[in-house]
Amino acid sequence: MQQWETACLVVANIIRKKSEAGQLLFQKEIFRGLMDQKVLKSDNREQLGTFEAILKKTMKRNEDLKELLDKDGIPRYYSAEFMSEAYVRILLRKEGNPLLLIAEIVRENSALYPRPIPLDTFKNPPFELTQEDILACLQKISGQEKYQDIAQTITSIGTVFLYSSRHLDSDYASMLAEWLDVGQYNNP
Amino acid sequence: MAKYGGWVGKILRVNLSTGRIWTEDTIEKYKDFLGGTGIGYKVIWDEVPAGTKSFDPVNKIIFGVGPLAGTGAPCNGRTAITTLWPTCWPKALVATGHMGGQFAAELKYAGYDSIVIEGKADHPVWLSVVDKKVEIKDARRLWGQGIRRATIEISQEIGPGAAVAAIGQAGENLVPMSVVMNSYSHSAGGVGAVMGSKNLKAIGVRGTGSVRIAGKKEEWEKLIKLHLSLLGANNQHVVPSSPQPWAEYYDAASRWKGSRGKMWGASTPAIETGTCNPHDLNRIAYRTNNAVHYLGDIAWKYTVRGNGCTGCPIRCHTMIKVPSAAAKYGIPEVGQNTCGGLNFGRSFFKTFPDGPRGMTGIEACMVGMYMSDDYGIWCNYSQLQRDFQKLYYEGIIKSKLEEKEFKSYSWDKYEKGDPSFLFELLPRIALKEGELGTALGLGTGYLLERWSLSEEEWKKSHGLNYWKLGHPKHHSNEEAGQCGVIINTQYNRDPQCHSHANFTRNGLPLEILKRLAAEIWGTPDAVDTVGAYTPMNTGKAKMAKWSLLRKELHDSLSLCNWMGPWVASPLKERGYRGDDSIESMLYSLATGDKKNRQELDQVAERIFLLHRALTIRDMGTKEMRTQHDTIPQWVYEDPSHRPVYTKGTTHLDKEDVKLAMDMYYEEMGWDKATGAPTPEAYRKVGLGKVSDELDKKGLLP
Amino acid sequence: MSHQNKKPEILEEVLSSEGLNHPFSRRQFLKLSGVSIIGISVLGPLFARGETKAPLIIMKQAKGIVIADPTKCVGCRRCELACTEFNDGKAKPSMSRVKVARNLNFGPKGVFPEKHGQGNWGNGLIVQDLCKQCPHPVPCANACPNDAIVVKPPTNARVVDAKKCIGCKMCLRACPWEMISFDSDTGKATKCFLCYGKPKCVEACPAEALNYMAWRDLTDKVPPRVVPTAVIPPEKAAACNDCHKK
Repeated sequence: MQQWETACLVVANIIRKKSEAGQLLFQKEIFRGLMDQKVLKSDNREQLGTFEAILKKTMKRNEDLKELLDKDGIPRYYSAEFMSEAYVRILLRKEGNPLLLIAEIVRENSALYPRPIPLDTFKNPPFELTQEDILACLQKISGQEKYQDIAQTITSIGTVFLYSSRHLDSDYASMLAEWLDVGQYNNP
Repeated sequence: MAKYGGWVGKILRVNLSTGRIWTEDTIEKYKDFLGGTGIGYKVIWDEVPAGTKSFDPVNKIIFGVGPLAGTGAPCNGRTAITTLWPTCWPKALVATGHMGGQFAAELKYAGYDSIVIEGKADHPVWLSVVDKKVEIKDARRLWGQGIRRATIEISQEIGPGAAVAAIGQAGENLVPMSVVMNSYSHSAGGVGAVMGSKNLKAIGVRGTGSVRIAGKKEEWEKLIKLHLSLLGANNQHVVPSSPQPWAEYYDAASRWKGSRGKMWGASTPAIETGTCNPHDLNRIAYRTNNAVHYLGDIAWKYTVRGNGCTGCPIRCHTMIKVPSAAAKYGIPEVGQNTCGGLNFGRSFFKTFPDGPRGMTGIEACMVGMYMSDDYGIWCNYSQLQRDFQKLYYEGIIKSKLEEKEFKSYSWDKYEKGDPSFLFELLPRIALKEGELGTALGLGTGYLLERWSLSEEEWKKSHGLNYWKLGHPKHHSNEEAGQCGVIINTQYNRDPQCHSHANFTRNGLPLEILKRLAAEIWGTPDAVDTVGAYTPMNTGKAKMAKWSLLRKELHDSLSLCNWMGPWVASPLKERGYRGDDSIESMLYSLATGDKKNRQELDQVAERIFLLHRALTIRDMGTKEMRTQHDTIPQWVYEDPSHRPVYTKGTTHLDKEDVKLAMDMYYEEMGWDKATGAPTPEAYRKVGLGKVSDELDKKGLLP
Repeated sequence: MSHQNKKPEILEEVLSSEGLNHPFSRRQFLKLSGVSIIGISVLGPLFARGETKAPLIIMKQAKGIVIADPTKCVGCRRCELACTEFNDGKAKPSMSRVKVARNLNFGPKGVFPEKHGQGNWGNGLIVQDLCKQCPHPVPCANACPNDAIVVKPPTNARVVDAKKCIGCKMCLRACPWEMISFDSDTGKATKCFLCYGKPKCVEACPAEALNYMAWRDLTDKVPPRVVPTAVIPPEKAAACNDCHKK
């Protein structure tokens, strides 16, 4: 029992630490963590069974630990104490559908705050898309009907912002972009 | 033991004409005005007659700090400097400049709650305050030197830990657009020349005393930790600028710049700012990077670290190290400042060869800071630079200068965006050389007068940001609709009020802002989102009143209005709620004078009303609505002539703004027709005597 | 109290002290047993002062120490404020037991803002001065005429016993790093006592520029600030022979 207690604590800790650093975990990564910390000995079938039981127990005990299925139906783990749902959504989308990622983020920003967002947002963490990827996505977006609402506006100093016409009309979006990119800095 | 904590008990008084130095009891005379601007306005009301001009020896200059200065209350390092304002046009009225740094704390440790300076010395002097020993010392060998040399020489005399507030050549030459500076980069705008007119080069303070906390130290520790837990980044932006693992929200324009992979690149070795979880109070200093905020991501690699006032964990000044600037222009590699100070040099230029966020812009900042922070030139919230651009590009400078002087400037360099142009311009402003240097140093109002330019033209222009009395707007309708407009009518310079802007720009979604607004000002309709304004309502009037009162409260307690109030927080578990009672809790525990939020706000109202009374008295009119609380034409006009309340516009409707002023006056309990406080309004806050004096002059509605 | 009865215990304690940096040979041990040991402090002075003029010897090392990282210090001085407000109920940086203000503007060398100066007016580096919780010989403890600087468990920090302190300021003069503070309100010296194992300064720092760690000897690693001007009086110094004589 003592060993199980320790094992559960270790699993919880691993998940929380990774969430703090902004990463979702696969089961195998948790397993490897347990091996590194000598809680499990090897990856034979017996140990696998033990691991699954440990994991299940840990998840049950700790309210902040969450499991969800990614786009391939594979379970991923994180701690809601250290990682927000919003961030989780970004990480999941990023894996394999950057186009949808861009669209969803742009729409979310236009609906929620509301505001357009700078294109460069997607170069920075956690998106970390390359210039080429971004341009490729924008190209595809302009061709597809379901993304017709994703639009661009350019500020007076040449910064590109994206917005969703579902939530912001073009006049408003361009005014907001100008305010965010130029206006606020002229009114410190 | 003194009855109250917080205050250290003595106001230092210095008469430079007679050389007399004496003290007053803070509690006896000024407790009801707290400190800072409160003491400033009270001294001016009691002792400086109407009609006094800025450079008259009978004008007084009050370096005011409050009971929280020098304590561990976060964000407390500010000094409010009150005087009759040199750039207030056409007539000097009371106004305040603010400076951060170490001065406020050191003054408290020396044993003083404020310094009041009057008169005029017959030769250059500096004031030495070393604990209880106060001396007027000869400054003839410092006169003519910049702020930097003056500070260093005084530090050699009274110790390296001294806080020195000094003027540069601009203040000495009675250039109205001048500052006083302390702690390398912390300036108070607009007051340098008043010191200069008194032949006062500097005040050097060394203090080894203490500020007593009246409450139990365990409770104080708990309260401080509560306050720290609610802090965001600079300007109380409570969401990070890019998505962080812990964060639900983000805002590219937020000053919370810290992130994985973002390094203080010029630190040795480089330091990562990291994800800055808001629960980690040991990483608050890594959140803000104003060099990056203003100069772009390129500034990360030039960032040495943050810097700022005593006791503040935010570090809104950024120290940057730019070797290319040193190599090209022969200036030091390291420079530091924030906001207008950081942008001083850059703001003059319309374009740079490598764009608005390139290296040349940074170099212009470095050159600008190097000179303006040593000569002690003020920017008037960058009005100087906006005016300069318009005057040049519309050919006005050329028409006003004699050919010889015009040709003495390398205008090609200016047009190209060559920072070396600043070496030709800035010294001439500080030294009052030539027509251009002299005119620019006067401040917008007097410049318009001198060059026979129309104030109406300035009042119509969207780009110039001009408001009235020779000063620009500061967070008006482009920020917060009617609330912003109301705030901008109330002062005799730009309002220096951030209570409202800190809230509207904190980065939270509109829905949350509205929820918080409902809790604080009674209705979610108190806030619109920028560019989607709605008609006036009482919630907005309440928000305006709250903003103004809290500004005065902060300036009087010595809390930073660029950080507070703290009504929002980065904490999801609190629903992003802050605590609107932080000021009253800090005040009560530190001083032992228990006041709740409403009671302390009433003290703030007293202080604000005294400012109003002073303005009425010195303008000689009670017709504030039409004569003082004016609004420039550009507020009502949209460059594309779209109707009001169209999404994407920030202009307002004239009738609606009239209603806004009505509602504001009503909220304040003032007379709607004149905008003047009624006798009841004065009496309600204990200013009955003030009311009587105004009555004698026929200045009550 | 019988000196001779206490001797063997004291010797055992002394010899088993961790981090003992004055090696004893067996021969010295034998010599030692034959000499009356006066004034050795392990958990506090075991002998009344009386006629003895020996310095108070502190053999137990501190368990922890606060270590500074000047490359991260942002000069906010919250450490000084926490130290004094949370311990003494007043904001008094001049008596803070962690010292930043004196290096803030120009660095430890004073007003030399030339290109290679430190602090806000130089290259930006701010050195936070901290007590090293010195091993024996502890300069401040040795200099105290009243043996008022003692070892306090559980951290074994070297602490000023305010009841014994007479405010003579000899300890201030004795510390090569000028780390002793003087509270002008109480008339007593005070110094870093590690806040019972949870240093307030470390907790308060918003830049992680202070850390609380296992003790290590920094006395030969951090350059002194001054040449100390307090010395152990000759009569006290003579007692050093008791332990160290060949």
